[in-house]
Amino acid sequence: MTRNYSLTKEMDWTLFGLYLIMVVLGIGNIYSASYNEDAPFLLDITQNYGKQTMFFGISLFLGFIIFLLDSNFIRKSTGIIYGVVLAMLIMVLFTTPINGARSWFGVGGFGIQPSEFAKISTALALSAYVSKVNIKLQDKKSVLIANLIMLLPMVFIAMQPDAGTLVVFTSFLFVLYREGITYDPLIVFIINQFPGVRIKKTIIGSNFIPILFVVIFLSVTTLLINENEVMIPFTYIPLKGVYIILFIFAVLTVLFVLFVQRFIAKRERSKLLALGIVSAVLLSALVFFVDFAFDKLKEHQKDRIELVLGLKEDPHGKDYNRFRAMSAVGSGGFSGKGYKEATLASPRSNHVPEQETDFIFCTLSEEWGFLGSITIVAIFMTFLVKTILIAERQRSVYNRIYAYSVAMIFFFHFSINIGMNIGLVPVIGIPLPFFSYGGSSLLSFSIMVFILLKLDSERKEILR
Amino acid sequence: MNFEGRKYIILALFLGVGIIYSFKLFYMQVVDDTWKHNAEQISEKRREVTPPRGVVYDRNGKKIIANRPYYNLNFIEKNITHLDTNALAKLLEVEDTFIRWRFQEIVKQEGTYKGKSNYRRNRVYAFVRDLTKEEIARIAPELYKFPGFFESPTSMRAYPFANGANIVGYLAEVNENEIEKDDFYRRGDQIGKAGIERYYEKELRGKKGVKYLLQDAQNNATQSYEGGRLDTMAVQGDNLILGVDIDLQAYGEKLMTNKLGCIVAIEPETGEILALVSSPSYDPNLLVGKRNIAANYPKLITDELKPLYPRPLQAEYPPGSIFKLTQALIGMQEGVITENSSFPCTKSLVGCHNHPTAQNVEQAVQFSCNPYFYYATKRIIEQGKSKSIFKDAEIGLKVWEEYLHSFGLGQKLETDIPGVRAGLIPGVDFYNKWYGEHRWAFSTIRSNSIGQGEVKLTPLQMANLAVIMANRGWYYTPHFVRSIGEGGPLEAFRKKHYTMVDSVHYAPVVEGMRKVVEEAGGTARRARIEGVTVCGKTGTAQNPHGEDHSVFIAFAPMNNPKIAIAVFTENAGFGGTWSAPIASLMIEKYLKGAITDEAKEKRILEADLLPKKKQ
Repeated sequence: MTRNYSLTKEMDWTLFGLYLIMVVLGIGNIYSASYNEDAPFLLDITQNYGKQTMFFGISLFLGFIIFLLDSNFIRKSTGIIYGVVLAMLIMVLFTTPINGARSWFGVGGFGIQPSEFAKISTALALSAYVSKVNIKLQDKKSVLIANLIMLLPMVFIAMQPDAGTLVVFTSFLFVLYREGITYDPLIVFIINQFPGVRIKKTIIGSNFIPILFVVIFLSVTTLLINENEVMIPFTYIPLKGVYIILFIFAVLTVLFVLFVQRFIAKRERSKLLALGIVSAVLLSALVFFVDFAFDKLKEHQKDRIELVLGLKEDPHGKDYNRFRAMSAVGSGGFSGKGYKEATLASPRSNHVPEQETDFIFCTLSEEWGFLGSITIVAIFMTFLVKTILIAERQRSVYNRIYAYSVAMIFFFHFSINIGMNIGLVPVIGIPLPFFSYGGSSLLSFSIMVFILLKLDSERKEILR
Repeated sequence: MNFEGRKYIILALFLGVGIIYSFKLFYMQVVDDTWKHNAEQISEKRREVTPPRGVVYDRNGKKIIANRPYYNLNFIEKNITHLDTNALAKLLEVEDTFIRWRFQEIVKQEGTYKGKSNYRRNRVYAFVRDLTKEEIARIAPELYKFPGFFESPTSMRAYPFANGANIVGYLAEVNENEIEKDDFYRRGDQIGKAGIERYYEKELRGKKGVKYLLQDAQNNATQSYEGGRLDTMAVQGDNLILGVDIDLQAYGEKLMTNKLGCIVAIEPETGEILALVSSPSYDPNLLVGKRNIAANYPKLITDELKPLYPRPLQAEYPPGSIFKLTQALIGMQEGVITENSSFPCTKSLVGCHNHPTAQNVEQAVQFSCNPYFYYATKRIIEQGKSKSIFKDAEIGLKVWEEYLHSFGLGQKLETDIPGVRAGLIPGVDFYNKWYGEHRWAFSTIRSNSIGQGEVKLTPLQMANLAVIMANRGWYYTPHFVRSIGEGGPLEAFRKKHYTMVDSVHYAPVVEGMRKVVEEAGGTARRARIEGVTVCGKTGTAQNPHGEDHSVFIAFAPMNNPKIAIAVFTENAGFGGTWSAPIASLMIEKYLKGAITDEAKEKRILEADLLPKKKQ
């Protein structure tokens, strides 16, 4: 295998470049978000930025080792890795809780979070299992085992408890979706119970996972955004938040139509256009329904939902984090307040809690404004699309599943973390990959990317 | 099956979220200003800097209201570790239980908002307020044992002289009402509640400065906002100079010890009040700061002798014989008597003491002949302009009333301490209401001619009457403050008020007043001062509740007078016995700076004229 193989030639330098850019920007950002006047040296490992830089070094070193390994070795170790991480997940439950959760192994001044590595091990195990020749995600046994591989670590993570990571684990459902899992038989069975109905296939059943995601995401977003009235830009006409979502739908639909007209072959057009417009209408209907249904709820039911979403309470109560984070982001303006000039998400003022970890995006958007935040969104979108493109070019199913796992894990972290910083998602404490301060998270995300780079570099060598 | 098409769904999902987030970011950061305002509210602190209040001096430049640094003992709960309540109680010299109680009290005072306490663990609260320099000097070195506790200086009033409490007034924390009325005030600010402090509140409080700061989550300021470009300086309040002579004031209070009553001394030429003694009084320092007010105010307000009651401004007494001066003047001006008019001392009409018949106005004043003034007033009221005695009295009384108003009587002498009262000059309306229209005549109201009846004057009005006599017909509204900052007194105090009696008519009355003091047969021989010609008039106000009140008004020297004075001593009997010598001591003290007749002074100082407590 090593005969004609050259890592430098086969490696996807674009993805590696994106990785480097994100980590370096991330460290620069952490430097500002936890800047300590008494220890301004970037590499001072008593400070967050020093530690993060050190973990970056360790990551690169581990990456080097991963590059030296045979990818077959990685594949074959999957079972062991999965087992070891699972054992760690169980062991961590016997530690003393920090902030009410047993998630950490303390090693000197550093902590290791096994749940961060469980993402990698589960991705590998899922890839290994589903890529077996005899596995079809259409038969019950395979689906059951695939789900078990995913659920087992989730059980122990739930016991820590760590709700954020738990949510991230549901991203594997999308991986299974890509690999052909379908809920159609169930849906068809239910629908066919109505007398006289006989259908064989539904679009809802086969695309159940993304539809579920969209419905949950949109419902939550509708409730969150509806809390405050929105002024129509450049006027003083107040609108309920739902209309902003509808406006976005309209824009997206127009973009979609233009896209289809220009790039899609004629015979496909009418079908795609119909699909696009119907889904836009259905989604608008969903938004309206959620808005309407929430209004009709009884007061205590509303309270309950608002409590879960973090909408309840005054700006100084439980809603504090969300309110402060959004104030920080929103006050950044178009071009920001300048590096290390944040007034809210700064270590001097501490108005935004956890501004170096879960709310790191606040510091970034407050200091760099819309230009900065849109750049980060763009970098992440490029990274995600690139990962999908990499996944789809794999000949090995194992590689593809793994790549999809990476893409989906990053997507969940990205959408939940930034979403909660801008008030579109309730506050769920998970890090923004490469930007949030945290050794375990930087290490695990780096390893995730390095394994992908390694597997991808050998894509021409192996089949299955 | 081939599921490759599903990658488009996933890509669409990615792009969909990416685009929604971009929209939202654009809206939040570029279009919508709400979050910028929120951020400002969170991070910017508008810190108001309260300047020290203006300082107040007496006419000789002695400081009578000063500012003195005090200290608060503060705490931030978050910073408190292992608090030893016993040791803290010991340090603060309070009961052990006080510490717990005080913490609970503070939480309670903060109140709640939507069911949640406004109390914050990371905020500064004052644990003990208004500690003196001496107290904090003892406490501060020990504070290192109590992390979370620290001291901070505040400025408070100090009254270097324990005198003139009713003049200076006092400060207290603003109430909700005052905060609402005037946006100058914030909770915890001080406001003048009485006296000069209250009347000149706007001048004394100065201008607040504003500092714009960036604050952190613990409400600590981190840096100034925009380099302090928007900051404004605090400006100390105007200094005031009073016409009061604080030494004279102190002497007056000393003389009035163990007596109920008042002394009001005014400089006739300017209308400046030299002394305003209300007895009993109190040390104004008793009401400095929340702690002192809490301890002393209840005692003062429940004291039977009413030390907080500003008698000179608010007590309304029958003036007694000093009122006769006005009757003589009005009679002459109206032409119903002349200075040489004589009336027999007809004791059957109204009682009188034994004296030679008054041959003229001068002697009438000198002897204070009751029937004489009965006749004089009768002539003013009954001028024969109507055949009905009732209608005639009504016409006459209207004229009479108008004259007296021009003396500043029966209406408020709006001086620069709030709360003055008008006294009472009973007019036509008054009697119509009382008896019914045309159901009263002179005989009904005759007691007023000798200052008994329904007539009532405040001691300030009595002193002002002395001023009018001294000036022979005019006065400035009596006032305390002779200059505000660089300027003079308020506009209202620069206007001369003339009585309706021409100044020529004053000469015989003033001569009579001289004889009251200086000549045999005068009623106030005790008021004589070696080398100074004092003009005075005694009065004895009948008091249905007990011993008569003793009144004396005077001015001196007779020509170019420097001081006019009224002394009112409750339950002290005849005016010449107590009030006259007190007035003369005050005059002598003011004009000469020392007392020549020590026996006279001793007699006054030793006298105890307080109502005897019922056993």
